[in-house]
Amino acid sequence: MVLLKLEKVTKRFGGLVAVNEVSLEIKHGDSIGIVGPNGSGKTTLFNLISGVYMPDEGRIFLEDQDITELPAFKRAPLGIARSFQIPRPFRSATVRENVAVGAMFGAHGEKMSVDEAMSIADHYIDLVGLGDKRLELADKLTAVEKKLLELARALAMKPKLLLLDEVVAGMNPNDVDKIVSLIKKIKEEEKIAAVAMVEHVIPAVMKFAERVMVMNEGKKMVEGATMEVLKMKEVAEVYFGTSQTIGESGDARG
Amino acid sequence: MKKYIQPLLPVLTLYIVLLGAGLSIPGLWQPIAFIMFYVVLGQALNMFLGMTGYVDFGYVAFLGLGAYGMALAFSLFTDDGLGSGIIVVGFLMAVIFSILLSMAVGAIALRLRGAYFAIATIGVSEGFKYLIEGARLWGGSEGIIISSQLRDSFGSEMANYLSTFASDILIFAIGILAAILTVYTLHTRAGYALMALREDEDAAKVMGVNVTKYKVMAFGMSAVFAGLIGASAWTLKLTYVFPEDVFNIIYTVEAIVIVMLGGAGTLAGPVVGGLIYGILRYYLATVLPGFQLLVVAPLLVLIVTVFPDGVVGYIKRKLKGSRFSKYVI
Repeated sequence: MVLLKLEKVTKRFGGLVAVNEVSLEIKHGDSIGIVGPNGSGKTTLFNLISGVYMPDEGRIFLEDQDITELPAFKRAPLGIARSFQIPRPFRSATVRENVAVGAMFGAHGEKMSVDEAMSIADHYIDLVGLGDKRLELADKLTAVEKKLLELARALAMKPKLLLLDEVVAGMNPNDVDKIVSLIKKIKEEEKIAAVAMVEHVIPAVMKFAERVMVMNEGKKMVEGATMEVLKMKEVAEVYFGTSQTIGESGDARG
Repeated sequence: MKKYIQPLLPVLTLYIVLLGAGLSIPGLWQPIAFIMFYVVLGQALNMFLGMTGYVDFGYVAFLGLGAYGMALAFSLFTDDGLGSGIIVVGFLMAVIFSILLSMAVGAIALRLRGAYFAIATIGVSEGFKYLIEGARLWGGSEGIIISSQLRDSFGSEMANYLSTFASDILIFAIGILAAILTVYTLHTRAGYALMALREDEDAAKVMGVNVTKYKVMAFGMSAVFAGLIGASAWTLKLTYVFPEDVFNIIYTVEAIVIVMLGGAGTLAGPVVGGLIYGILRYYLATVLPGFQLLVVAPLLVLIVTVFPDGVVGYIKRKLKGSRFSKYVI
């Protein structure tokens, strides 16, 4: 069964078509990268999948259930979790409380008690390596730690589909490697389908994604096996305006 | 159990000290009752403003409707021989009125965000005042006076006791009830949902929190307590209700100052805030009569700029990680 299916999804803001008839199928356990330059519609696409926006046209299905009109808070219990590009922790709460909210209202079911949620939270906090910060206020974390908190919070929701918005942006290469292998490991252990969206850090995509979708100006440009897609001249042109391929340079920052 | 009792200890201790001082020191009962009114006023608003971060400028409408609920019970049912049960009926009517209004306002206005909600609610209390006066509803601008019904139901001695003493004790009881309910809520799923939506409503939604449901819940809870306060601190204590008295926006503003001063969303915040504000207002009225309300504006400016977490919020941050942190939430 297909986990998530987008059927010609379109979203307009005034005259701007942010996402233009994008179709995509994601199976359980997939790892997919979505790449594209700034303003290509990646974040809007995530907002459509997670229910922040409703599409103007097209349908969205999760495991054959039509969720096109479903508000965000009803999608989370069905197994959709996301991280935000700019971390949005609950600042006055501790790391533990932040992650526990994910466990309480995610896909574990409504019966989840506060105490159970706290112990689930502890598990994921340890997993992302924030163990010694669990009683810190989220406000006090560093930028990288806040990204890890976002990840732990999303994982604690027990998602089937994990949407990662620029998780590794702004990190040094060591942290990038660490997080990419962490996500791969968790993904396999918990059989989560993960979709990671990136703008610049192409090496992370090459390590993480089996499949890549390239977006440009709101449209799906191409989709396919990661290395093949990244070697395509058209893809390179979107990024650099030249014919040097990303696969050769290894980094879109060029 | 321990996690509920520990944070309640400082608050309950304060109540006992106030109650003891009021009962044993001659002349102190009235000032303490006056201060307690502000404490409880803050506690009730904190259930909504503190927990959700939404500012309700129509808050006083719930106090007003509570006052009218109690007054109407007396003017409608005094001859039915309910005895002291009439007070129970009065509280019941106060609660029902507040819930109905909170659901009506909440269902519409709570779909709005932040400032838009605040603006939408300003009209509610003013609207009620003019509705009652203009439509000559519930006695119109002449209000409802229940002193004779009180005497008929309880005899003059008991009626006097009720308005000068028992109504104040009821305020203490409402305060204790509000504190217990606040602690309990903070430890439930609802408490975490409210924290999440207060901090970041969009993130909360994406994490599966039905924000409208929890906002309406907090709004209703706050309204019920406001209704109870109106019924005892106005109707039972003063034995009359006039629309321009009870639908006065100044109480809303005072309640907001109390919550912000003490620390929004904390248990002890409105208690400390109400205490400071009540003392200030009471003694300013004797030292600088007429200027007591002038203190509100500079106080609010000061808190918001210098002390955004309020007194208790500040202490809570300082105590984070120490063994006393369990007592301050």
